[in-house]
Amino acid sequence: MIGSLMVDHYRTAKQSLERARARTLLTISGVAIGVASITTILALSGGISSIVAQQVEEIGPNLAVVRPMDTATSLASLNNPVSQNAYTTSPLTETDLAAVRKLPSTEAAAPLMTISASIRAGDERPNKSTLVATSPDLASINQLKLRDGQFIDSVTLENTAVIGAQLSVDLFGTEQTIGRTFLIRGQTFTVIGVLKRLNQPINFNSIDYDYAAIIGFNSGKLFNDGVAQIQQINVLAKEGTNMNAYKKELTAELAARHDDQEDISVLVGEDISRSSNQFFDLISLAFSSIAGIALFVGGIGIMNIMLVGISERTREIGLRKAVGASNGTIMMQFIIESLIISVLGGLMGYILGYFMAFIISMFIPYDPLLSWQIAAVAAVLSIGVGMLFGLYPAWRAARKDPIESLRRYH
Amino acid sequence: MSKSTTPVIELKGLKRRFGVGDAEQYALDGVDLTVKKGEFIAIMGPSGCGKTTLLNIIGLLDRATDGEYVLDGRNVEDFSSSRHAKVRAHQIGFVFQNFNLVERLNVIENVALPLTYSHVSHLKRLERASEMLKTFHLGEREYYMPWQLSGGQTQRVAIARALVNDPSIILADEPTGNLDSRSSHVIMEELSEVHKKGNTIIMVTHNPNLTTYASRVITMLDGRIDSDTKDIVVEEKKPAAKRPLGKATKTTKATKTKTTKKRATTKAKPKKKPAKKTTAKKKEANT
Repeated sequence: MIGSLMVDHYRTAKQSLERARARTLLTISGVAIGVASITTILALSGGISSIVAQQVEEIGPNLAVVRPMDTATSLASLNNPVSQNAYTTSPLTETDLAAVRKLPSTEAAAPLMTISASIRAGDERPNKSTLVATSPDLASINQLKLRDGQFIDSVTLENTAVIGAQLSVDLFGTEQTIGRTFLIRGQTFTVIGVLKRLNQPINFNSIDYDYAAIIGFNSGKLFNDGVAQIQQINVLAKEGTNMNAYKKELTAELAARHDDQEDISVLVGEDISRSSNQFFDLISLAFSSIAGIALFVGGIGIMNIMLVGISERTREIGLRKAVGASNGTIMMQFIIESLIISVLGGLMGYILGYFMAFIISMFIPYDPLLSWQIAAVAAVLSIGVGMLFGLYPAWRAARKDPIESLRRYH
Repeated sequence: MSKSTTPVIELKGLKRRFGVGDAEQYALDGVDLTVKKGEFIAIMGPSGCGKTTLLNIIGLLDRATDGEYVLDGRNVEDFSSSRHAKVRAHQIGFVFQNFNLVERLNVIENVALPLTYSHVSHLKRLERASEMLKTFHLGEREYYMPWQLSGGQTQRVAIARALVNDPSIILADEPTGNLDSRSSHVIMEELSEVHKKGNTIIMVTHNPNLTTYASRVITMLDGRIDSDTKDIVVEEKKPAAKRPLGKATKTTKATKTKTTKKRATTKAKPKKKPAKKTTAKKKEANT
């Protein structure tokens, strides 16, 4: 019985919306724009974390990452994209690294020390390059594969480097560069290996290995007056380790070494795939709020058009009440009408949002994420907007006095 | 005519107040009325006498401030508004002066509209509406839109709509108010057809000519019932037994003179069984 009434409500709503087609379409597009922007942002930001998540998954469940504690993310840092701590010295030290390695469950640990340096081969100075000093374990932890040559190891001489495929092309014009030499801060380094092209500009190391020059940890320290400067430690635990317990163990060990100051965070499992880029987080937060405003405005559009429709149909409402519609029935009828608008808008917005996301993804290095969660968010948002902004007009309609309503336009 | 004994409506001391404080005013000031099944009542009276208010309260569109309203044996005055809606859906049919068809809907959908709220399936609704339209000779107009109909046709559609849910009572508020005299009589013929089939009708009208169709005429004044032909019938029965002859001529004369005295503006009301107006009036005033 209720179901058949719902079908009637749907029929009535459809009729009245089709009557004012242009108006309905405009209102729908208002909601669609809001939902589209939210879908785009979610798809793109979801794309990033899914990339990282995939990388982490490939490496396996035994990965842990040790990083200096994130400073609080705030909108204030949006106008200063280089976060304030970009130039600060990391609390991670070489003795921390040693302590991590000493833990019984640790299989291997590799420090990441990124060094600001000019890289040059002859007259070629690639403007996009990263210098990383690390230990040989990085290759096994990060599962870095070589195209040619070998990775740095304990027996190779200092002043040798492994370079990314694209850096190799940028420096020498070819990917086959074993034995060639180039300059880092004026010192000559010999290429002993070239990495396979990864195409992973975004990863949990915040290093694009295609553009990286990897040198031994000791060579790196020499560029910094012999002092280690570790931004991150990638740790691989032994097979079968309980990662949560291991995380606690690592945290406790490091906290003890840092006078119980909580200046270090240990990430395992899914946490690693959380966006490591604060700037991107802020951007997507800002865009989300703009998208939220767009959706809100769309909702106001619904409310507006519903109020207009209701005042136009005052007499009809009065008549429906006279022939037996209760307040609840009238209310439901108009809520369904606003729901039709918002759900159609949501559907259009969802499609439009992915369309935009795919267009944008042509210019950025990753694909948008397709997941049921985003569809669910779009659905919940559009239904929510329809309910929220349809409620007041519907209530107004339901409260109309049938006698007054029928007397109008006499 | 009103031979059935089942009272459809019983009103006792019905009052309706509008405004507060100094502006307080009673649109209905103690109305007692019993309507039996199968009656065709015409309510007359000057503007502002409370006719429409009474009709709205009977139709459960409005609530009385005070008093008792029994519909089909149930005291509906204390019902919640959603139960009122239910009663309207099942037991009451409305006919309005300005027809009030939904412009967006075609004729058959308009007629089927009340059934939406009594949980009848869409197909059944259209079937019943179609049947109803045929009895009003509007079978070929089913898919016309309201603006394609003449005034008389529109009102016939509205009457069909009022009847489609098989109500126990039909309320008509000046059903011919917007029609010319020819269409008016067509509509009144339709209403008396409906009445002959056993329906109870309460009609508010300004037009005294139309009261000829009614079985009982009630005149209202200042929120009270001023005269009621039913009371006259009751009063009359006693003298009728005594004086079986000359009843018709005498009473007609009496009515004509009384009415012209009472209201110079209105023309003579042709009533079916009018008599001894003054006694009736006094009796009303006392109760």
